[in-house]
Amino acid sequence: MDINIEALDRDHVRDVFRAMLTSRILENKLGSLYKAGKIVGGVYLGKGQEAVSASLAAGLVQGQDVYAPLIRDQAGRVAFGEDVLDCTRTYLGSVEGPMRGRDGNIHRGRPADGMLAMISHLGSAISAICGMLVAKRLRGAMDGVVGATCVGDGCTSTGAFHEGLNTAAVEGLPLVLTVANNQYAYSTPNDRQFACEDLVDKAVGYGVRGHRVDGTDMLACIVTMQDAVSRARAGEGPQLVVASMLRLTGHGEHDDGSYVDDGLRSSELGRDSIDVGRGQMIEHGFADEAEIAAWEVDIAESVQAAVAQAQKESGPDPYADDWTAYANGALQNG
Amino acid sequence: MSDVTYIDGIHAALNKALADDPSVFLYGQDIGKFGGAFKATKGLQDLYPGRVLDAPISEDAMAGLAIGAAIEGARPVLEMQFADFSSVAFNQIVNHAATHFYRTGVPVPMTVRLPSGGTPGSGPFHSQSMESLYAHYPGLVVVTPATVADAYSMLLDSIAMDDPVIYCEHKFLYRWLKSESFEGDYLPIGKARITRPGKHATVVTYSAMVHEAVRAAEILQAEGGWEIEVVDLRSVKPLDTDTVIASVARTGRLLALGEAFPWGGVTAEVVSRVCADGFHLLDAPPVRLNAKDTPIPYHPKLWSAHRPTPESIVHALRKLLNY
Amino acid sequence: MPKVPILMPQLGESIAEATINRLFIALGDTVSPDQEVIEVETNKATMGVNSLCAGVVSELIAEEGVSYAVGSVLGILEVTQEELDRTGETAMDDAASSSSDTASASTAASDDDNLHFKTEDTGYREPVRVEPNVKGLPVPTGKGGAHYISPRMRARMTELGLRAADISAITGSGGGGRVTVEDLEAFLEHIDTWPRTKASPMRLAVADAMRRSWTRPLATVARPLVMDKILDHRRSQAVKPGPALYILRALAMALAENPTTAGYLIGENVVHPRAFDIGVAVQVDDGVLVPIIRNADSKCLSELVEEYNRLVELARARKLPEDAIKHGIATVTNFGTFGLTWGTPIPLPNETLILGLSAGVKRPVWSDQTGTFIPVTEAEMDLTFDHRVVDGGGAGMLLNRISELLQKPELL
Repeated sequence: MDINIEALDRDHVRDVFRAMLTSRILENKLGSLYKAGKIVGGVYLGKGQEAVSASLAAGLVQGQDVYAPLIRDQAGRVAFGEDVLDCTRTYLGSVEGPMRGRDGNIHRGRPADGMLAMISHLGSAISAICGMLVAKRLRGAMDGVVGATCVGDGCTSTGAFHEGLNTAAVEGLPLVLTVANNQYAYSTPNDRQFACEDLVDKAVGYGVRGHRVDGTDMLACIVTMQDAVSRARAGEGPQLVVASMLRLTGHGEHDDGSYVDDGLRSSELGRDSIDVGRGQMIEHGFADEAEIAAWEVDIAESVQAAVAQAQKESGPDPYADDWTAYANGALQNG
Repeated sequence: MSDVTYIDGIHAALNKALADDPSVFLYGQDIGKFGGAFKATKGLQDLYPGRVLDAPISEDAMAGLAIGAAIEGARPVLEMQFADFSSVAFNQIVNHAATHFYRTGVPVPMTVRLPSGGTPGSGPFHSQSMESLYAHYPGLVVVTPATVADAYSMLLDSIAMDDPVIYCEHKFLYRWLKSESFEGDYLPIGKARITRPGKHATVVTYSAMVHEAVRAAEILQAEGGWEIEVVDLRSVKPLDTDTVIASVARTGRLLALGEAFPWGGVTAEVVSRVCADGFHLLDAPPVRLNAKDTPIPYHPKLWSAHRPTPESIVHALRKLLNY
Repeated sequence: MPKVPILMPQLGESIAEATINRLFIALGDTVSPDQEVIEVETNKATMGVNSLCAGVVSELIAEEGVSYAVGSVLGILEVTQEELDRTGETAMDDAASSSSDTASASTAASDDDNLHFKTEDTGYREPVRVEPNVKGLPVPTGKGGAHYISPRMRARMTELGLRAADISAITGSGGGGRVTVEDLEAFLEHIDTWPRTKASPMRLAVADAMRRSWTRPLATVARPLVMDKILDHRRSQAVKPGPALYILRALAMALAENPTTAGYLIGENVVHPRAFDIGVAVQVDDGVLVPIIRNADSKCLSELVEEYNRLVELARARKLPEDAIKHGIATVTNFGTFGLTWGTPIPLPNETLILGLSAGVKRPVWSDQTGTFIPVTEAEMDLTFDHRVVDGGGAGMLLNRISELLQKPELL
């Protein structure tokens, strides 16, 4: 991809890379906490997908746009503005976190602030983001608004993916649907997941614009996402972005990913987007090595502080919980 | 006003909700210009442009869209063309909508209308009663109006409610059930009604079966002076246990009656609650009467024998009274 | 210095334990934060175990090739307080860290080690529920035979203070002749205008005792008793024993010879009497009291008279102490005082025998010695017993032995 470096917004590029770096340092810490037995339940990391995730969410405006991150979107969450504490509190079961111990790990969000809390059923957020946009349209607040979500290659096989993208297309909604094709859905390779040559070809079938990008190339991701987001913002309807890369970790930390093909690991797809991004930052003068090193120290300290704080906070108290599933509490136990 | 029907009550409630609250919108298949498969939304798209939206045949995405809109502050009213098709949206309803408030503290004020229950000739996939399935899930409210006034007021209450409501409207009642007015003796969601007072046995039921139970009660009244009390649950979740127990306290005998399949479900829940909380009130073992344990048959002759009828209800009551 | 454990992590949803592949650390090594210190293997994958803070390995419990349960302490780090604060880690209690058996292979527990998921005992307890304790339903007979009392019927009867026996008067209209609540209400309405008196506490106590006793298969046998020798003996005494005391003493002696006759059937055992304490029925206003003569087998008649007379007086005055009416094994009752010639007395519910004595009657009895009819005074002894424990033959032998003993009253 030919990139016009001069046309890039320096601050935006720095924001994207810093979010990627934050995600990587935070996720390394989560892995470490898991390996020290501190986390009950799974740990699911986005290593390898930071460029795609961060470049999508960095183009969104919190408080205006709506965003539904999925399993490997820690970088996107940071870029959208989620506090690192939300992550450590949810993973460590602090009652102070947004999910209060009622849900864990990546199943977190702040829907009132425009960021949905994912459920495990793939594709269900696509139509939910559509609904948020429809609600904004209903009250005349959709001008210039974008809704974005990211799914994986496995999700493209679900009915929910099809129904959700088709619905967005029918309604002409400003949806940016990113498919992070990381070659595996848990252990299932692409050739057992779909039979089309390229997932981006699906865009034609839905009547939406498709974009294809190398998900390991940070600057390419930034350019592609900016294009997709601004087209959606301008009223051109849903945008399907297919980014390719390799998942550089197991499905979760309990999985060593031993089934991943060695040829893929050593291919271009197996590049680490952080390494690529770091090289691009330095080569094009967005930041120098010393500055990046200082960021790393800074981020590591704030991550460590967020872990320490969450660890010191109480877990939920089953005897103090109101055990209410209803906004109208009088309906409970009826 | 004279001779308004059950479906008129639904139409009028939708019309009023749209008029009163700009955050209300309707979403469903064929509900726009066509006015819906049962004409529940007839003419509403013209009255409220942009707020009565035709949906593609995508029940999962319809429910997902309604959930997202509700989270974002709108009050969507989703029409499933038939309750049976809500199985395609089951995941969104039970995993997304039902869990959302508990998980995040953000409510999901959506209403899902389910045209429910059998009509002659509708067959296995256009006749189902889904209330028991949804009532099983924490976080959902499930209502089953049996009268024109309830159809009207409970739909308005459902739309105003901050929790997701599954509104089960009975297709058989749509045009068959008539009333003089939409106004009745108003009760809130969660309160059952004594439709017909009695002292010899209690029939606890809901939706269209309320009317079948009343007919059975009339037959027994004429036959032997039996006075059968009929309790209309109105909402199956929450279930008004107090009113049910109070009725059994008066009569000592319970028949739990429903049109759904017999395994588990609302009638089993009623019996379970009465046995647990009102064991000492029972003078006879409680009886359940449901549809048969087969898919719902197509042919009217089979269909009318598949679901409880006044005759089979009378038979069940006679056994109960003779115990 | 604070100590921080290295724990076996949760390595997947269904994994309970893992095997140590390699130890990357040795005792005394310095480790850095987030360093992989141990490699472990599950049946699913090979994984690392991390330390979370900088410290020195002060204890190394894990051994290569051995499996440990999730949550086991694999090793212990000594960590500075400063590092503890920086990382938010929790130091171990001294007690927990000192012993290496905290991680015996494959035994240590679970996610309790993770502070945030530990469920502490806050003192909350589910309310205690009364367990149903059904030992068989009382079965009053209706026209259709034994039948069922519904929960509602039982609740209504409890409310009214009725017992199963009380509804035996009601003809049931329910299934199998069952008495329904409506039948009960109709019956109560039917008798509502009849004259009635309030039963005294004594009456209710007797009624309760008799109802409970009547749940057993009771049978009665009888034989004549020639009274002349007893009457002669009685006349010769300064303080005259009542006739009931003679048979009481004889009963005690006979039972002492063969205690199983007064046995009590509990489950699969016959429980024998511990002492031959025999009661005597005393008619009082609106009821019967049964004071107990203790160890009646080991005291002679003349010793018993005074105690007997005192207890009978106390009973008539209704001043019996509580312990004077408890724990007898049999009762004697002299209904002959009312001129009755036979009866079927019912034992107390906690006893299995009752011996009744009827009025003595002069009868001509053929004497082989004189070849003529001679007049004798004859009474009837009626013995009611629990047929589960004693048979007619056993009861008859007991009666015969009593009769035999009573023919030599001077030996009593």
